[in-house]
Amino acid sequence: MNTRRGIPLLVKFVAVLVGVYVGVRLVRPPLPSSLVMMYMTLTVCGVLVYVSIYAETWQEFSAPLVELFRGSPERGGLWQGGRQVVLGLIPLLLGFGVYQKVTPSFTPPAEQRVVHPAPPFEVMGLTNPLQQRPDRLQEHLELGARVYFQNCVYCHGDRFDGEGHFAHGFNPPPANFVDAGTIAQLQESYVFWRVSTGGPGLPAESTPWNSAMPKWDTMLNEEERWAVVLYLYHQTGWKPRTWE
Amino acid sequence: MRWACLILLMILLTPSTGWGQEKGASPGGAGAPPAAPSPQDLQAGKRIYQKWCMNCHGAQGDGAGPAADFLRPRPRDFRQGLFKIRTTQSGQLPSDQDLFNVITKGMPGTGMPGWEKVLTEAERWQLVSYLKTFSRRFARASAPPEPIRIGTQLPLSADSAAEGKRLFREIECFKCHGDEGRGDGPSAPELTDDWGAPIRPANLRKPWTFRGGHTPEALYLRLQSGIAGSPMPSFADSLDNEKTWHLVNYVMSLWQDSSGNNPPLQVVLKARRVEGEIPAQPGEAFWQDQEPFYYPLVGQVIREPRLFVPSVDGVQVQAVYNDRELALRLVWDDPTNSKADAEQGTFEDAAAIEFPVQVPPGAKRPFFLMGDAELAVQLLRWGSSSGMTELNGNGLDKLQPQSESSQESTAVGEFQNGQYQVVMKRPLRTVNTAQDIQFETGRFIPVAFFAWDGSNGETGGKMALTSWFYFFIEPALPKVTYVYPALAVVIAGGLQWWVVRRLRQTKMD
Ligand code: HEC
Ligand code: HEC
Ligand code: HEC
Repeated sequence: MNTRRGIPLLVKFVAVLVGVYVGVRLVRPPLPSSLVMMYMTLTVCGVLVYVSIYAETWQEFSAPLVELFRGSPERGGLWQGGRQVVLGLIPLLLGFGVYQKVTPSFTPPAEQRVVHPAPPFEVMGLTNPLQQRPDRLQEHLELGARVYFQNCVYCHGDRFDGEGHFAHGFNPPPANFVDAGTIAQLQESYVFWRVSTGGPGLPAESTPWNSAMPKWDTMLNEEERWAVVLYLYHQTGWKPRTWE
Repeated sequence: MRWACLILLMILLTPSTGWGQEKGASPGGAGAPPAAPSPQDLQAGKRIYQKWCMNCHGAQGDGAGPAADFLRPRPRDFRQGLFKIRTTQSGQLPSDQDLFNVITKGMPGTGMPGWEKVLTEAERWQLVSYLKTFSRRFARASAPPEPIRIGTQLPLSADSAAEGKRLFREIECFKCHGDEGRGDGPSAPELTDDWGAPIRPANLRKPWTFRGGHTPEALYLRLQSGIAGSPMPSFADSLDNEKTWHLVNYVMSLWQDSSGNNPPLQVVLKARRVEGEIPAQPGEAFWQDQEPFYYPLVGQVIREPRLFVPSVDGVQVQAVYNDRELALRLVWDDPTNSKADAEQGTFEDAAAIEFPVQVPPGAKRPFFLMGDAELAVQLLRWGSSSGMTELNGNGLDKLQPQSESSQESTAVGEFQNGQYQVVMKRPLRTVNTAQDIQFETGRFIPVAFFAWDGSNGETGGKMALTSWFYFFIEPALPKVTYVYPALAVVIAGGLQWWVVRRLRQTKMD
C-alpha cells in the first residue's frame, strides 16, 4: 500500500476521533452520554482496525508512540521536556478519572411512574351522558369552557398543552392534552375517572403522593365534570377511544 | 477517499432519531403586516379569537371572560385601546407589529401565554386585525403611530449604573419600585390600574417576570413609552437618551444573573457540613458563601380554600449542618410586612418547610399537600409575628402544632426592603421520634416549601407552594475517595515505567 507522506497517521487518527466526537455532540436533541460513549468506542475500534490492516500503516501509526515512550536521544531539548510532561500527565489523568468515579455523585433515585394505570372496574365503559343531547351541545360546551377556565387553566394552560402559568411548580407536570399520549388514547369514562378522583385516586404505582392533579368530585358536580371532558375533546379535536 | 467513506459510515450509524428531528421551519416573529384587512381576514380573526382568546378576554373584548376573576393582572379589556407593550410614543396606539409581537411572545409573569406554537403567522395577523375592531381609537386615528427612536446604547458599566441609581431616586422610581427595586415602594399598596384593579410595581430583581421581556431595548422602550393602562408613566419628558440608558443599566445591575433568566431549578437541595457554630443571624456574611437553591412557588389550586393569585412567587434556600444541628436560611420577596388584622382580612406573613415524619425507604411518601390520613408530614413554620412553630399534618385540614415541650426549633427572621430573610435551626435528632423527622446524612429526603403573604389574605390553605423536591445532607467524604485515586496514579506510573524499560531493552537487543 502506498502511504502518502504529509499528515502523520497519528494526527489523522486524533482528528477523526475529535471530528466524530464533535459531530455526535452536535446532534440535537443531545444524545445520552452512554450512546456517545458507544459511538466513540466504535470509532476507536474502527480506526484501529483500519491502521492495523497493513504492517506498514501499523508501523507508521505506532512509531511516534513507541518513540515517545522509549525516548530519543537525537531529539532537541524541547521535545525531551515535552516527553517528560506527557509521561508525567498520563498517571495523573488516570488518577483524576478514578477520583471522579469514586466521589459519590448523589443523584436522587429515579422515579418510575405508571402514567395510565388500570381504572377501577366501576368506571369502565361509562358513556358521557351529555353526548346523548346533541341539541344542547353548545350549552354544554359553554359550561365545559367555564369549568376549564376557572379551574384547570392554571395548570393545563389555555393552549391545553400543560403549560399553564402554575405548571412550572409541579412535578410530574400537568398533562398535555394536545399530545397524542393523553386523552387521545383514553376513553371518556377513563378521563372522567381521572378528573373525578385526581392524584389521590391513583394507585401506588402511579405515585399519588406527587400528583398535583386535584380531586374534583368534591369541587365540581357530575354534569360539570362531564362537560369539561366534552369540552377537552372538542377543543383539542381528539376523539375519545371507544371499545373496539 | 477512504477517510471520507469512514466518516460517512460513522454518520450513517447514528440512529435516525437524532437527525432530521428539527421541526418544520417555524414562522418567525417578523414579517410584514398585511395591508388593509379583508372581511375574510376579520371573519377568520373572529373565529380564532372565539376559539382561543374569548374565555379570558370576553366575547365582546371587554376582558370579562369566565377566567377573568381568577387572574391578576386581569385579561385586558380591549375597548379602550390601551396596550402596555409598545414601541410607540407615550399616549399613542401600538403599531400592528407591537400587537403581533405581544400575541406571539405572550406576557411573562401573567396568564397571557405566547401563541407562537399554536397559531400560524397568518392567523396571528388576522387576530391583530380583529382585536383592533374592539376599540374605536384605531379607526379614528388619522396617522400611524410614531415609533420611539432608540439612541446609541451606553454599555453597562459601574459608572453608568451608579448614575442610574441616582436618577432612580431623583425621579422617584423608588416611590413605586422600592429602595432596592423589589416593588415595595411607599406608594405601591395604593396603586390601581385604569380599570380600577390593584396593580403591583414590577420587582426589578426578577426580570423574567417583566411583561415586555428584559432585553436592554425592551426596558428602554418601557421607560420611554410608559406602560399604558398601568400607573407606570412615560419618562420621555425627563429622560434623554443618555439618562434612559443609565436607568436601564441600573435596573440590569440589580439582577443576580446578567442574562435576566429565572434561576435554574435544582431538584436536590443540598446541606453542606460545616465545623463549629452556625451563625443564627440571617444577615451574617457566612450565608453569602453558601450555595443558594431557588424554588418557584405557585398558587394552591388543589383543595378548598384555593389561592388563585399568590403573592410570593419563589423562595431561595440555603442549608448547612454541623454535628448537632441543621440550619436552613430562607429568603423570599414579599412587598409588605403584614400584620394580622381581622377587620381588614389580613394575616401575618409566613413560610414553612415540609418533610415527611418518617423518611420513606421506597418511593412511597405522604401527599405533598400537608400529608394524608396514612402518612404524616412535619412542618417547620416561621411566622412574622408568631415566630417558629413545629407542626404535624395529616391533610390540609388536619394540621396541629406540636406540644410546647416538643418545640425544639429556633429561628431568627427579619424584613427589609421587600424581602424576608429567616434562619431556622433544628437539632438533627430529637426525643419525640414519633412526630419529628430524624435527619440522617446520605439520604434523599422529600422536601416542599410554602409561603403566605398575609396582606394578600393568605392563611391556612390559601398559600403559595411547591410539590416534593429532595433534601440531601451531604455525608463527609469517605477515605476511599482519596486512597483509590492515589493508588491509580502509583499503578499507572509503575506500568508506564515498565513499558518504557521494555522498549529501551528491545532497542538494545
Ligand atoms: C394544580 C394543577 C392542576 C389542576 C388545577 C388541574 N390539573 Fe389535571 N393534572 C395535573 C397534573 C400534574 C397531572 C399529571 C399527573 C397525573 O397524572 O396525576 C394532571 C392530569 C390530568 C389528567 C390525566 C391525563 C392522562 O393522560 O391521564 C386529566 C384528564 C386532567 N388532568 C384533567 C384536568 C381537568 C379537567 C382539570 C380542571 C377541572 C384539571 N385537570 C385541573 C395538574 C392539574
Ligand atoms: C388565560 C387567559 C388568556 C388567554 C386565553 C388570552 N389572554 Fe391575552 N391577556 C391575558 C392577560 C391576563 C393579559 C393582561 C396582562 C397584563 O396586563 O399584564 C392579556 C393581555 C393581552 C394583550 C395586551 C398586550 C399589551 O401590550 O398590553 C393582548 C393584545 C392579548 N392579550 C391578546 C390575546 C390574544 C390574541 C389571545 C388569543 C390568541 C389571548 N390574548 C388569549 C390573558 C389571556
Ligand atoms: C407610579 C408608580 C411607578 C413609577 C414612578 C415607576 N414605575 Fe415602573 N412600574 C410600575 C408598575 C405598576 C409596573 C407594572 C406594570 C404592569 O405590570 O403592567 C411597573 C413596571 C416597570 C418595569 C417592568 C416593565 C415590564 O415589561 O414589565 C420596569 C423595568 C420599570 N417599571 C422601571 C421603572 C423605572 C426605571 C422607573 C423610574 C424611571 C419606574 N419604573 C417608575 C409603577 C411605577
